[in-house]
Amino acid sequence: MAVPARTIVFDLPQGHEFPKTSFTLSSAGLASYLAAVEDTNAIYRERGIAPPLAVAARAIRSLLDATELPAGTLHTGQEIESRRACPVDAPLTFSGRIAQRSLRAGLVISVIEFSIAAADGETLLTGRTTVLAPGAAS
Amino acid sequence: MNAPEVAPVVKRLTQAQIARYADAADDHNPVHVDEAFARATPFGGTIAHGMLTLASIGEMMAAAFGERWLSEGKLRVRFRAPARPGDDVTAGATAQSPRDGSWVYSVECKNQRGELLISGTAEVPAGG
Repeated sequence: MAVPARTIVFDLPQGHEFPKTSFTLSSAGLASYLAAVEDTNAIYRERGIAPPLAVAARAIRSLLDATELPAGTLHTGQEIESRRACPVDAPLTFSGRIAQRSLRAGLVISVIEFSIAAADGETLLTGRTTVLAPGAAS
Repeated sequence: MNAPEVAPVVKRLTQAQIARYADAADDHNPVHVDEAFARATPFGGTIAHGMLTLASIGEMMAAAFGERWLSEGKLRVRFRAPARPGDDVTAGATAQSPRDGSWVYSVECKNQRGELLISGTAEVPAGG
């Protein structure tokens, strides 16, 4: 089922699957990222590959294309597992789901599992992002 | 074979850098970029994106292991406290016992006051 625009992430139930989205991390976009994080490692330019965290950040951004994180949301945990170097200027596909959703002391905690695949379908990277919202709706 | 030493990465965080990251990641949450808004939050001022602070750990591991880290590395962290403009953030790694053919490190980011900002583990396949 398609997610209505701007659905609050914390309202999504455990097991909810986000629509697959495609994106390309461009050379220019990677250059902006590397400048922002002040990473001067030449390997990215020489090999045409991206830091896994740059791809993960882009994946998290993909979530926000269809959903919203309310004010006060805290990013409390991050896991990344690389399986192959992520290419620059190549189409990538993001898949994600709500792996866990729990309520604790008035806090809603959502764990989002995601994977990034190459055009050939091979998984390049998997990750888990934990976000917490104080006082979010139950 | 023992895990090799990993050199720390030290950086001074600035509001300008946070703004650049907000543009690069397209994440303009006001708690990061709007001082007036952030002052009214429990943080009392702007804070860095967690993924910006975490990037220092990624940079540190990529510098040590190159493409092996980029294609086979594993990272698991918790964000303990926010980094703020003006902080000197040090990313460090301490070797643990190897596990299942991988070198394992406890990794962390601390600020100049020694406050723990990020903690977790990083793994990379052992190699020559």
